[in-house]
Amino acid sequence: MSATMMETIKMNLINRLQEAEDVVYKNLHTKEKYLEVLYIKTISDESVFYDKLIKPFFEIETPAQFLTYLQSNPQIKTFESESQTLDELLHGVAILFYQENIFLFDNKVDHNKQVLDTTVETTVQGPQSGFSESLSVNLGLIRQRYPSAELSVESMSVGTISKTKVMVLHDRKFADPDTLSRIKQFLSSIDVQMFQTGEQLLDIIKNSNRALLPVMLVTERPDRVAVNLATGKIIVLVHGSPFAVILPTVMKDFMSSMEDIYETYWTVNCLKVLRYLGFVVSIVLPGLYVAVTSYNPELFRVQLALSIAGSRAGVPYPSFFEVLFMLIMMEMLTEASIRLPKAIGPTATTVGGLILGQAATEAGLVSNIMIIIVSAVAISNFVIPINSFSITIRVMKYFVLVTSTFFGLAGCVLGFLMIIAYLVRLDSFGEPFLTLIQSKP
Amino acid sequence: MNRYFMYLMLLNMMASAIIFVPKILIDARFHGAVMSLIIAVPIGTGFSFLLSKALERFPNKGLPEILDLVAPKWLKYTVLIMLPVFWYVAGAMTLVGFIDILERFINPEAPKWMILMIYLVVLCITIELPTLRVMYLLEIILFMNSPFIFFMIYKAFTDDYMSWDSILEACTHVFEWPSLTTIATASFVFCGYTNLIIFNRLFKEKLKFWNFAAVILLGVFNLFTSYFIPIGINGIDGSHAFLYPWIATADSLRLVYSPIERAIFLFLMLYISITLMSVVVHWHVGYELISGMNEKKSTLKKWIIVGIFMAGTIPAILFLDTIALFKIAGVFMVVRLGAEVFVIALTMYLTRRKPA
Repeated sequence: MSATMMETIKMNLINRLQEAEDVVYKNLHTKEKYLEVLYIKTISDESVFYDKLIKPFFEIETPAQFLTYLQSNPQIKTFESESQTLDELLHGVAILFYQENIFLFDNKVDHNKQVLDTTVETTVQGPQSGFSESLSVNLGLIRQRYPSAELSVESMSVGTISKTKVMVLHDRKFADPDTLSRIKQFLSSIDVQMFQTGEQLLDIIKNSNRALLPVMLVTERPDRVAVNLATGKIIVLVHGSPFAVILPTVMKDFMSSMEDIYETYWTVNCLKVLRYLGFVVSIVLPGLYVAVTSYNPELFRVQLALSIAGSRAGVPYPSFFEVLFMLIMMEMLTEASIRLPKAIGPTATTVGGLILGQAATEAGLVSNIMIIIVSAVAISNFVIPINSFSITIRVMKYFVLVTSTFFGLAGCVLGFLMIIAYLVRLDSFGEPFLTLIQSKP
Repeated sequence: MNRYFMYLMLLNMMASAIIFVPKILIDARFHGAVMSLIIAVPIGTGFSFLLSKALERFPNKGLPEILDLVAPKWLKYTVLIMLPVFWYVAGAMTLVGFIDILERFINPEAPKWMILMIYLVVLCITIELPTLRVMYLLEIILFMNSPFIFFMIYKAFTDDYMSWDSILEACTHVFEWPSLTTIATASFVFCGYTNLIIFNRLFKEKLKFWNFAAVILLGVFNLFTSYFIPIGINGIDGSHAFLYPWIATADSLRLVYSPIERAIFLFLMLYISITLMSVVVHWHVGYELISGMNEKKSTLKKWIIVGIFMAGTIPAILFLDTIALFKIAGVFMVVRLGAEVFVIALTMYLTRRKPA
């Protein structure tokens, strides 16, 4: 291979890589020899590199001997083609330029040992590991799943005191430059003292620092990040946090679980319908109960209306009080079971759910139907795959409850419509939050 | 096929089919109602064709922008002061009429102004949305509601008590000379296209032949549903006795296997959102026309317009009873038809002034 050809390959490789901090390009010299190496340090093992390459380089004296060493090392392959070299480079292989040869030195590192298991967004099938708490490991994890030369990594620091290192990743081919500049502007405009994790952005994004709905997705799954990179989303990684932030995010993203791509087509679509149904049920049901029992009991067929009224016969106060009472008990139960140690958790659920529910009915404090409704609301709430969105829904149902308490059936429907209108009104970095079809006609 | 155009037409057809149109038409069932249905179809589709053809010359532009471009100042201001009144009244009438229905059939104990308040709160946050967002909201609401509404219509058609003889009898009165009011009322079903003067902002491509074919089909089906089903179910003599023939019809339907046995509740719950959306679309057009008068957009100006819109409905709710409302509706239908002709003539005139 001629020297000029090698030079062009080298320049091509360097140019095709997006500029990133973890790309290392280094020259090694001794009196007789001269070696150039190119590798991505976050996905390569530098101790292997040191033992197997740098030590021999300085121990072996003559250039010819070192060439033989390189040629005979099983970890080292010879150059085949430029694109293959780039692929290998992005998988963690170091590229060596020695004399007139190009070698691929395999010192990939396996990060899986250090990463945490997914706990928030668990799936039955598919990858089970999440991010770690180290920024460079996380970047490496993303690179492992997304070996594309178009991946661009920029870093900046956020927080006046914490000076937390933040990385902004995007695929140059897919990401929208307007959105990107909007996000960069947003990140540089953040005025906060301590910046610890991406979730803080959820509130900071509103000028008033008070937001109800999340307009960005916080995830612990590298596979979700990789999939979203390929759809043109922008990723924000924060040092010290095992969560990545995906921007911009619309309602569709909050309603999708990673399992959607690991299951069959019809199953996934049925599951999606189920999730939207859960969304509607958990928002509307408490309000609907109040509207139906207190305003329009004639809505249901006679048998059902009578059995609801019969079950409410011993309850001494109006339905909205009953609903509020049970919902707040349920919220407390949910909050308590999150904070409790794993060993006590089941006890709390048994005491709270079974005994309290049973006793409350028998004492005539709430009706049987009410218990069913509260459980249905709680369960359908947990159908939403993304935690931050499901907490928002927990809050939103009280709004519908209030409108239906004051305005009856019309208030229930209009309260729900108000929530829909609010979702339609929102946008996430210029992207409308809720639309039926994402494309334009 | 341009789906946004179809949404506007479909929304107006659905919303108009239950409040004023059936009552006014059924009152005139021996005096040319059927003939006015037949006349309304070509009028409605013809008008929608003319207006959309004229607006095609200005892709992505609403009426205020077009007036800015080609019209003299005085014409712009006259038009933008005069036209919003029609859209405002159209929206307000739907609102007041439907609240009257809600008060009668769902919340007889609650005062009307309470229901108005909650409606106004929703309208407050929706009418000043950007035009595209209004369309998104409309799309979602139609998607959620129309399957159920079509199911209800199917139930009505297949009802045991549906008397096709009454319908045939009503058809025998086809050769009666219709009055202007009934023609205008029947053509009101098609008047969703007038919202194009603002919603044209979203339209890039031309409307195809299929759009108009679908409009004719839907229009005929809709007119048939809103006029003949009440007659079929309540009888040609009996249908006259109801204030809201379609609601009374829905109340006589029974969903045998559903937990909600009386169809009227399902029907009214669906129509709460359909009517709301109809008011939103009309008022959005009115709002955009007024705020199109000058370029400056300020929060104060926005809230003043929205405040006037809201305030106008309160006396209407307090002082109008159902009979007065129907009288006003009858007059409004005719005036509205005139306004439609004016809008079409104006846009065609503006197209001729457009520098090539």
